[in-house]
Amino acid sequence: MIDLASDALLLVGAFFYFAGTVGLVRFPDVYTRLHALAKADNLGLGCVLAGLALQAESLAAALKLLLIWPLVLAASAAVSYAIAHRAEALGVAPWRREEK
Amino acid sequence: MTVRAFASRAAGFALLWWVLSEGRLDGWLLGGVGVAAATWASLRLAPPGARGVRAAPLLRFLGFFIWNSLRGGVQVACMALRPRPDLVPALLELELALPPGAARVLMLNTLGLMPGTLGVDLDHARLRLHVLDARLPVAAEARALEAHIARLFGAAP
Repeated sequence: MIDLASDALLLVGAFFYFAGTVGLVRFPDVYTRLHALAKADNLGLGCVLAGLALQAESLAAALKLLLIWPLVLAASAAVSYAIAHRAEALGVAPWRREEK
Repeated sequence: MTVRAFASRAAGFALLWWVLSEGRLDGWLLGGVGVAAATWASLRLAPPGARGVRAAPLLRFLGFFIWNSLRGGVQVACMALRPRPDLVPALLELELALPPGAARVLMLNTLGLMPGTLGVDLDHARLRLHVLDARLPVAAEARALEAHIARLFGAAP
């Protein structure tokens, strides 16, 4: 039962990593790509860590895995702001859809 | 008050060490030194008594945050995997009512994980954000986040 839940979480996590990477490739500019990476990958990481924590050998090891999530979350939120801020300061104009 | 702050912080750092060492007992000599140093630094850098974050609004904020980062991830995954990406990006400006300092920084950083928004610039109270799809009610969601953070810091209604 626990193995099943763990596998499901790992697969869902892999799916979000995949979607985030697809977004990175397909989205048109730096700002939209940051959206894809920050949001999808953090969700993917959360699922992968939860899946691994279910398989951990001790409570402390499981908590250690789960501790990674908020740390990466904080880093990735700050980094995506930093990149967006710098891009704007350099005058990178956001992509806009052409009017039809 | 100081004794309570000392005890709770030392307990928190000890718990952190227990987690980091995965429950092993042979590292506690070094761990004890680390816990003492961390507690001292924490009391020195963030003295107790200053207006802290309260527990009930923190739990509500965490629930709001986790639920919305889930929504944000699902939403952006759908947008990325759609056969023809349908994005309407735009820059928005909002006037923040949050006090300067930690509250505004938290707002700016969490925006990047909420559905459809990304903080780009903060000049005093004027926040610029990039949105993925201007047709979605992103401004209202940013306001909801702002209200949660305001309650977290006990700043507003």
